[in-house]
Amino acid sequence: MFSAFIKNPQNCRYQGQDGDEEIILLLRAHPITNLSWIILAVLVFLLPILAPKAAAFYRLDFPFVPANFSLVLLIINYLLVLVMVFEGFLGWYFNVNILTNKKIVDIDFNSILSKNIDLALLRDVQECNSHLNGILGMIFNFGDVYVQTAASNETIDFKKVPHPDLSSDIVMDAALKVRNI
Amino acid sequence: MQVTSTQTIFDSALVTDFLRVTIFIIMFFYSIFALLIVRQVMIMSETLITHVSALVRGAAIIHAGFAIGLTIFIMGTL
Repeated sequence: MFSAFIKNPQNCRYQGQDGDEEIILLLRAHPITNLSWIILAVLVFLLPILAPKAAAFYRLDFPFVPANFSLVLLIINYLLVLVMVFEGFLGWYFNVNILTNKKIVDIDFNSILSKNIDLALLRDVQECNSHLNGILGMIFNFGDVYVQTAASNETIDFKKVPHPDLSSDIVMDAALKVRNI
Repeated sequence: MQVTSTQTIFDSALVTDFLRVTIFIIMFFYSIFALLIVRQVMIMSETLITHVSALVRGAAIIHAGFAIGLTIFIMGTL
């Protein structure tokens, strides 16, 4: 269930899913996109170990910090790591793009206080574009998929998903199937 | 024998009081943030229902309890 590209996922539903609606494809951002917060979390985790060594190396004098303050600062540091990891995981795991046999659903939680859900009917899908950008995108084969619908001017976008070309093909195939083409 | 004592900024009561209040404020907001995360996770797991949702919800509640417990611990320590 921690995959970023899941065909016909089991034990998975979204809010508002109809009884006769089946999820064809569930997409998340490629796991490698988590690297930025993972590196940051590792650096913050190692900060209490590395900072005194770096200070000793550069012959800097650290003021003597009382034991209770240093313990509290250490706790705050590791709380920061904990919240970075937890929020990073939540952001990755719950920001999903879902293709069902009826709809395309784009669920975005951009911040702790925002929830954005874009829905489009498959029969309204006009065209589908995929873009593969950047070095990491080229190496790990992830990119963006843009789905243009007739119902609105807005496009539904799947950001940094794995196999963008295959994903857009699956979306287009599902749209054609709905229209019996 | 000559005894020398080194003065640090932590010897000043003003500095330690300032740090104490700053840490209390940080921990207070962290506890609020942890409770917000619980609400966020509830909304997230209602939106996307998987078998991991319950696990994540449990982790968020434990985290909030941990944050509040630590705030109380730190208030006792400092």
